[in-house]
Amino acid sequence: MGKSTSQKIKVGVFVVIGTILLVATLYFIGNKQHLFTRNIEIYATFANVNGLTLGNNVRYSGINVGTVSKIDMVDEGTITIQMVVEEKTSRFIKKDAIASIGSDGLVGSMVVNIIPGKSQDAKPVIAGDTIQSYSRIGADDMLSTLNTTNENAALLTSDLLKITNKILEGKGTLGALVSDTLLAKDIRQVVVELKKTTLGTSAAITNINAIISKINYDESAAAVLLSDTVSANQIKNVFANLEKSSKDINEVTKNIDEYIQEIKSGKGTLNYVLQDKDLVKNIDSSMINIKEATQKLNENMEALKHNFLFRGYFNKLERQERKEAKEK
Amino acid sequence: MNKADSILSQTKSFFAEIGDMTFFAGRFFKEASSSPFEFKELLRQCYNMGNRSLLLVSVTGFILGLVFTLQSRPTLMQFGAQSWMASMVSLSIVREIGPVIIALICAGRIGSGIGAELGSMRVTEQIDAMEVSGTNPFKYLVVTRIMATTLMLPLLIIMGDAIALFGSALIENLKGDVSYLLYFNQVFEALKFSDIVPATIKSVFFGFAIGLVGCYKGYYCSKGTVGVGEASNSAVVYISMLLFVIDFIAVFVTDIFI
Amino acid sequence: MNSIKNIKPVLELKNLQKSFGDNHVLKGFNLKLFEGENLVVMGKSGSGKSVMVKCLVGLIHPDGGSINIKNQDITTMGHKELDLLRTEIGFLFQGSALYDSMTVRENLEFPLRRHKDKIENFQGTEILVKEALENVGLADAIDLMPAELSGGMQRRVALARALILKPKIIMYDEPTTGLDPITAKEIILLMRNIQKKYHTSSLIITHDVDCARVISNRMILLVDGINYAEGTFEELSNSSDPQVQAFFKN
Repeated sequence: MGKSTSQKIKVGVFVVIGTILLVATLYFIGNKQHLFTRNIEIYATFANVNGLTLGNNVRYSGINVGTVSKIDMVDEGTITIQMVVEEKTSRFIKKDAIASIGSDGLVGSMVVNIIPGKSQDAKPVIAGDTIQSYSRIGADDMLSTLNTTNENAALLTSDLLKITNKILEGKGTLGALVSDTLLAKDIRQVVVELKKTTLGTSAAITNINAIISKINYDESAAAVLLSDTVSANQIKNVFANLEKSSKDINEVTKNIDEYIQEIKSGKGTLNYVLQDKDLVKNIDSSMINIKEATQKLNENMEALKHNFLFRGYFNKLERQERKEAKEK
Repeated sequence: MNKADSILSQTKSFFAEIGDMTFFAGRFFKEASSSPFEFKELLRQCYNMGNRSLLLVSVTGFILGLVFTLQSRPTLMQFGAQSWMASMVSLSIVREIGPVIIALICAGRIGSGIGAELGSMRVTEQIDAMEVSGTNPFKYLVVTRIMATTLMLPLLIIMGDAIALFGSALIENLKGDVSYLLYFNQVFEALKFSDIVPATIKSVFFGFAIGLVGCYKGYYCSKGTVGVGEASNSAVVYISMLLFVIDFIAVFVTDIFI
Repeated sequence: MNSIKNIKPVLELKNLQKSFGDNHVLKGFNLKLFEGENLVVMGKSGSGKSVMVKCLVGLIHPDGGSINIKNQDITTMGHKELDLLRTEIGFLFQGSALYDSMTVRENLEFPLRRHKDKIENFQGTEILVKEALENVGLADAIDLMPAELSGGMQRRVALARALILKPKIIMYDEPTTGLDPITAKEIILLMRNIQKKYHTSSLIITHDVDCARVISNRMILLVDGINYAEGTFEELSNSSDPQVQAFFKN
């Protein structure tokens, strides 16, 4: 029953230490601090770390593989970060892998994303390696760019509005052009032709593309020439641009088409006038006024007829009328 | 030298007390698992503790939910996230604030009550009288009380949580024009079993801690009326500390398994 | 009195030792209680009387020595045997020690709840409780709470509770403490009547000389942890030893 004091103290110390150990173990397990796994350190250099802090996760192809363990400013514009990465996953990270800093959700904490490199036969990273980095635009930059774009768009639309108004009013060369239906027909014809041409070009480009990709795989003389990746890429770029322009042309023609369609359906100046409701209303009320005025005049006339001063004159007029009717 | 000595002896007595409490807990399990069971007394204690704490827990829970919602509203409104109120309040009350606050309240209500009751029974030799009468006072007094708190606290906490949510719904209804139906729909949408079950398991341990420390302090109360006051006072202090330690561990365990 | 030497004692303490830390309370105390006698143990406050009597019922475990009750050594006894033996012993606590959350009836029933074998049926419990209360003259207080009783009545209820199992040995720890002289006298007379009625052996711990004079057949003086002097009230009160005289001087 009765336990000696030294026994109690021993058990007390055991319980306290046990509790502390339990909490510590739980903490490390819960935090997945990689305490019990073997780690290696790799490095990457950035110009801007966008608020990355110690302990932020490091992801490789979206899997958490480690944490940021050190952030050092080497000189202005160069920040080296040290990452602790699990050894067992590090063998999948090749030397040409690219590190970038991104955010975990819109307002989440920052993460280091390691993207696999392009080449197949690069060696895995070893401890102390520095991998390539790529500074992506942070959310801040993105938002500020978006802001200027917005402002520009606002200016553009206001200008566009002025121009279109002028066109509608028929002012300027373009306005004259637009109001001229004959010319419009001609333009339309031209546009249709243009469309056909672009479609043809597009098909041609696709064909060329297919040929090029074929050439890449075939071991022909052309392939030797073209599989030089640099020139091949350039050619590819050229074609890509071409394709883009033709698409643009297509877009423009479509727009013009719509415009003409609108003109045809009679949305000219008169239309504008008719659509102005205020004007219509004004005209309407004027008409009513005029009507009223004529009515009043009629009444005045009638009143005059009955007036004794003018009766003689009116009677004379009547007689004259009758006489004329008889004569007829 | 003198100060070092007193610090040493204080540390020693601290560890001795924890060790003694561990033996006490061990004895509880030993005695609780052997017959006879004082079933009638257990029921009486359950009724006493549950019933006597009911009003206190209800009022505390209600005010807790009320104040919590009232204080969170401005912040959430800054984000325009008032519609998140129900899920935020229900999660934080059910997972953390409800169990801890209500357990602390019960530490003050039940823990100190047990400490004072057993303490005065010890001082007036009633515990000795029981032993002489052939009734094991540990079984009759300690086992029943610890079991009662362990059983009652989860119930009290669940009820307190519910009333706290009602308080919160009241504020949302008055200030935010949220109907009770909508509020509780949101609450039940936000709450999962993985929120309620760990909190309930945690509250079982809270109850055990309250009963254990209260009984320990009262059962080994030193002589005199000063001893009784000391027993009930230090019971509350120890329980509060222990509650936070348990909560701390529970958070980590929940973190791993859920 | 003359036949005492031949009878085996119902209770015997040999060389009882108990210390709390550096405080050696009992240093080899010896005591023999014979059947049918009233033995008074007197001593100053803090001389270890209460410790001694608590050792006797197993509430405190002695550091050394042996305690024999009815030829059984209780220091080596298990819980169950001890509980069984305790039904043979009544114990009146210093401050009555009534359970204040229970009524008088429940207080009296409490010792019976673990010894159902001693009572034939449930009706037996009722009868035993009534009888015990009648013995102390408090039959109408059965449904009161201890807090509603006066100090003297509480002591009587406690006495009734000690007697309910009809024990062979009754131990009184300071039975008159905290009571006014008249009530104390009532309690003492009650004790004597009960002793006569049930032929029990009584061990009375007290520092009250009046109590000792009325009730004692034999006395032991406990001084410095040992039995300092032994004898009848007359023998001790006429002793020339200054330590003994100190108890009887008023």
